[in-house]
Amino acid sequence: MDVRVRLFGPEARLLGVPEVIVSLGPGSTLSTLRASLAARYDGLHQSLTHARFAVNHEFAPDSHVVRPGDEVALIGLVSGG
Amino acid sequence: MNVAIAMVSGPISPACHATWWPDGSGRCAIAGGALVSFDGVVRPLEGNQAIDALDYEAYEPMASRQLRQLGERVARDYALLALACWHSIGRVGVGQASLRVQLAGAHRAEVIAALGAFIDALKVDVPIWKSPVWAE
Repeated sequence: MDVRVRLFGPEARLLGVPEVIVSLGPGSTLSTLRASLAARYDGLHQSLTHARFAVNHEFAPDSHVVRPGDEVALIGLVSGG
Repeated sequence: MNVAIAMVSGPISPACHATWWPDGSGRCAIAGGALVSFDGVVRPLEGNQAIDALDYEAYEPMASRQLRQLGERVARDYALLALACWHSIGRVGVGQASLRVQLAGAHRAEVIAALGAFIDALKVDVPIWKSPVWAE
């Protein structure tokens, strides 16, 4: 299953792209996705220690099982206000 | 619950006020004893370096949804009568407002405390990012 991960702010600038595609096996969790991103993108290592995931526009825990069609976003440190 | 949230393109206009904010006659359309209006304004320095503006980026519709949920939670926790919030996306120049929060409640203590709680949580849980536009 290919999962599209949207990137914003510092994470998007670090990789120079607004999204990445990661291949995951069936039943994979956001924890698996976090490890896959860390293995594939050195530039995200530090962000991945604190960043949260959102699935379909809601924060989701790392135990969340990713399903086909989910909209996944990596939410690093925000800076609104 | 009287909570209004809006994302605004560019700086927040000085004319932008909650529907219940005192009108030209000075009369407020809400039965509260305390009103607070807060503007967050772009500072001229980022660290020690001069900037011309900040560019704001939001992950929508999550940002608006998070703001609404946060506004409803704070309004409930602090027994507010109303809360309204505007946040900018796009470019906002130095000295211009990128955030406006207006709150109404029965007494000042809970309204002032609610303002702090709302902004503190906004800076943690609302997916909005800013990046500096450095001065030439």
